[in-house]
Amino acid sequence: MHTAPTLAPFEMPDELTERRKRRLLAVLWGCFWILMAAIAVQDQLMNPSTLWWEPLLWEGTSAVAGTVWLIAQLRYARQVRRLLDQPFRWFVRHLKWFPLVAVSFVAAIYTMRHAVYAAVGIEYEHEPWGFLLIQETIKVWLFLGLWLGIIFALESFSLWQEQRHRLATLQKSLAEAQLGQLKAQLRPHFLFNALNTISSLMQIDVPRADRLLTQVAELLRASLRMDQEELTTLGAELDVARLYARIMEERFAERAAIEWRIEDEALNALVPTMILQPLLENAFKHGVEHTSVPAVIVVSCERARDTLVIRIANSGEIVPRPGEGVGLRNCRARLRAHFGERGQLAFTSDGRTAEVRIEIPWQEQLA
Amino acid sequence: MMRVLIAEDEKPARDKLARLLREHDDVDLVALCADGLEAARAIESVRPDVALLDIQMPGLSGLELAAQLSAESAPLIVFVTAFDEHAVRAFELNAVDYLLKPYDKERLFQSIGRVRGRLDDRQTRHNAVATARTQTNAADRLLVPDGELLVLLDTASVESLEADDNYVHVHAGAKHYVLRRTLQDLLAQLGEQRFVRIHKSAAVNIGAIQSFAPLFKGDYEVKLASGRELRMSRRYKDALFARLGR
Repeated sequence: MHTAPTLAPFEMPDELTERRKRRLLAVLWGCFWILMAAIAVQDQLMNPSTLWWEPLLWEGTSAVAGTVWLIAQLRYARQVRRLLDQPFRWFVRHLKWFPLVAVSFVAAIYTMRHAVYAAVGIEYEHEPWGFLLIQETIKVWLFLGLWLGIIFALESFSLWQEQRHRLATLQKSLAEAQLGQLKAQLRPHFLFNALNTISSLMQIDVPRADRLLTQVAELLRASLRMDQEELTTLGAELDVARLYARIMEERFAERAAIEWRIEDEALNALVPTMILQPLLENAFKHGVEHTSVPAVIVVSCERARDTLVIRIANSGEIVPRPGEGVGLRNCRARLRAHFGERGQLAFTSDGRTAEVRIEIPWQEQLA
Repeated sequence: MMRVLIAEDEKPARDKLARLLREHDDVDLVALCADGLEAARAIESVRPDVALLDIQMPGLSGLELAAQLSAESAPLIVFVTAFDEHAVRAFELNAVDYLLKPYDKERLFQSIGRVRGRLDDRQTRHNAVATARTQTNAADRLLVPDGELLVLLDTASVESLEADDNYVHVHAGAKHYVLRRTLQDLLAQLGEQRFVRIHKSAAVNIGAIQSFAPLFKGDYEVKLASGRELRMSRRYKDALFARLGR
């Protein structure tokens, strides 16, 4: 199977959307203050008693204080990101800082303005402090409230994009697992070899050939029935695995023996469809097909509290596997897709025996 | 009579081949082998005219086995496989035939007929082995007899190949093996990457060369890592020195 060598454009979504978001915000912020300055300058033209630079100073100090606020707010927004799904709580979290913001904002801009006026030796005339505080607080609440809304919109949008991306990756890996799974199913190689075994048997033992043919047909049917999304009982899974095992035992006559150690209770456990057969196929491939030494394959299933443990071990492995093949990776991907972190697959090998161990959260089929 | 060997690891499949071939008057079944190494030994000892080789076998696959045979004295090869694998396509032109499982009696006999027509065709044998070599890592591994056994030797450990009549002595460290092959065919298998000729009847692993000492008439003595010394004739000197960048 080919995997595209190029990285999809959303390989690094967080950084990308983050950067785009910041750039957009900076542009909006700049436009906003240019607009404010323009309005103030226009005001000044109507009022000849003010000097040309005064409105620019007023708006400039506000812009400086506002920018400091914006940066702090963005930092804070990142911390409370998880609340984006609950807009009310998100806004309350931000708004509870507003009294402090308003007071420090007013204090900051008037300190700066007084400093500049003092520096040029002019007296800064403005409304009395009490009135000023109320007036400026209202302005601060209005404008910063507006900006808070904009931040909320941007944050929500980027979160939505991220989630969409995550969903897409998940679906992609699921589709890949499905495809790999289908490919791993009853490879043509297996089918043709099974047919050859039947062709060989039917000349000498017709009933046995007939039985084998039926088993191949049943296995084929089971593999066509396979549906990725669905869970099935371990009992049904084992039926399919046994069909496969019987055909393989027939092919490899004296070279393979298989042992089943299944707890009765485990038969009702729910497992992903067609999860066992590829693993059994792996065990036959490495333990039987690659060596002439007679091998024993042991399949065991048991319940360990709230977990179903399935183990497939094979002896006779002379050449240790170079690592995990596609079969095991696919299987792990499927377990993850179904059960998240609770679906585990571990492979161990010491050169003589190899074991695949699966853990699945215990779920029982209701009668 | 055509002397035929079968190598097939699955018993039912092996039985089927044997049963069908026994029906054929013209066929003398000389060996039934259950894996690649067994077949290699049998080919060496019974020298069949034809080998029917399953491709997937433990130990040594049919392809790997064919790649290790002497291109000059290999039997005619018919591959038997369950699936139209990539490698098999390479043989459509070069091997005598290949059988896809499952096959029936007519198809098998058709193959046998084809083989009979080519029993004396050296080129066919040669092509089949050469193609098998391109399909496997035949340059990295060499099948050698070790007492009663056959073992696959890592060719990196081979120091020198020295011809002696119809045999080649393979020196690998302290070990020494004798192969019934020609030096030329062995070098064709192992390739020019690792081994270089220093004499009409000797080749060495380039990595094992320690030093050169000049002799009379432009000949040299080559000293190898194990201390073994071999004569290099001036005919091969220039080519080797050019490769070593001298």
